[in-house]
Amino acid sequence: MTYEDKLARFNAHIDGGGKVEASDFMPDDYRRGVLKFIEMHANSEIMGALPERECLPQAPTLLRKMSLAAKIQDEVGHAQLLYRVAEDLGKSRSAMYEDLLAGKSKFHNVFHYPVQHWGDVAIIGWLIDGAALVTQAALLDSSYAPYTRVLKRICSEEQLHLRHGEHITLMLASGTESQRDLFQDALSRWWLPIIHFFGPRSNVEKDLLLRWKVKTRTNEDLRQEFLDRYVPKVLELGFMFPSPVPVESTGHWIVKDQDIDWAPLEAVKKNRGPETTRRLAARRDVYDRHRWVREVLAAPFTYAA
Amino acid sequence: METFEVFRRSGHKEPFEHCGTVSAPDAEMALLEAKECFTRRREGQHLWVVKRSDIHSFKDESLLEIAADKSYRFAEAYRDVVTKRSQARSRGRALPEKARSST
Repeated sequence: MTYEDKLARFNAHIDGGGKVEASDFMPDDYRRGVLKFIEMHANSEIMGALPERECLPQAPTLLRKMSLAAKIQDEVGHAQLLYRVAEDLGKSRSAMYEDLLAGKSKFHNVFHYPVQHWGDVAIIGWLIDGAALVTQAALLDSSYAPYTRVLKRICSEEQLHLRHGEHITLMLASGTESQRDLFQDALSRWWLPIIHFFGPRSNVEKDLLLRWKVKTRTNEDLRQEFLDRYVPKVLELGFMFPSPVPVESTGHWIVKDQDIDWAPLEAVKKNRGPETTRRLAARRDVYDRHRWVREVLAAPFTYAA
Repeated sequence: METFEVFRRSGHKEPFEHCGTVSAPDAEMALLEAKECFTRRREGQHLWVVKRSDIHSFKDESLLEIAADKSYRFAEAYRDVVTKRSQARSRGRALPEKARSST
């Protein structure tokens, strides 16, 4: 069978709703695209642990500290699952790690921003994890089957994180004026990055990941689902959105394209976000200091003679 | 480093099910990683790790297709049991009294 024949069969398989396993034939562009996508997801999980870790010392009670630490552990666990799935597509974990630290691969925009106080923990846990859950739940039906299997576990843990984040939000929202101010201040800083999180409008004609059903829905579709689900909940608690302010229209909460300032996202994509350099340096520092652990564990154990 | 496939069983009434993979230098380390990755919330009471290279499967999964029509192996082949049952019952009722008695 020629490569063209295999490609035609692959396309027909995908069009018919077929799934792909790591050992199956797949076009080079499919392999590269899926690898890059999962690698970016894995990078985001491990980089996403950092902003919340920075907030740990500010936890108001010991219980909050322990539950946030458990959530951070989950995020690192997600990275482990995802790197393992990506490895089976032909790139070693150490190569992925080196590329991340060298700024050659990407991680999600929201993790390039600073955290200031406990209000940020509420925003990250509720709205950012809420946004992540909308995108990840849409991927449960991805054509790359090994990815969907780890996503099942990731999504169930994200559900818990969402509840955890909402719990913190509700405590602040029903607390003193200064507690409410914490949430409002964090919302004002995070709203634009959250809108960016879903990315600009998808180019359906050119997006190979959509063509091959690795991604199943467009960026704007996912953003719309998030807005419809979360905007009313935030308004109900009496908080206010900064620009781009969502407006209600024909049963949906709309943010107009022309109201979105995309410049900060463009900077983040070039690894020039406000915290990019410092976070990557923090990750590099941990990676270097833990090198001896990796080396000890990788060496086969032998008793001294 | 080796790739290990991880299997988890939630209780004695369930079978072991594949739940993911880890990479580790040996089985002991693989078990520790699997415990941290897959059972942080009591999802399993038993764990297996197996070296991926020790798992055997068909190269071509189309070999798992059943070669010919073997519908008689499936319950749906016997769906007409409802009509058959009522036919047989009316046949039985039509028999003379003597033939229906067990003595």
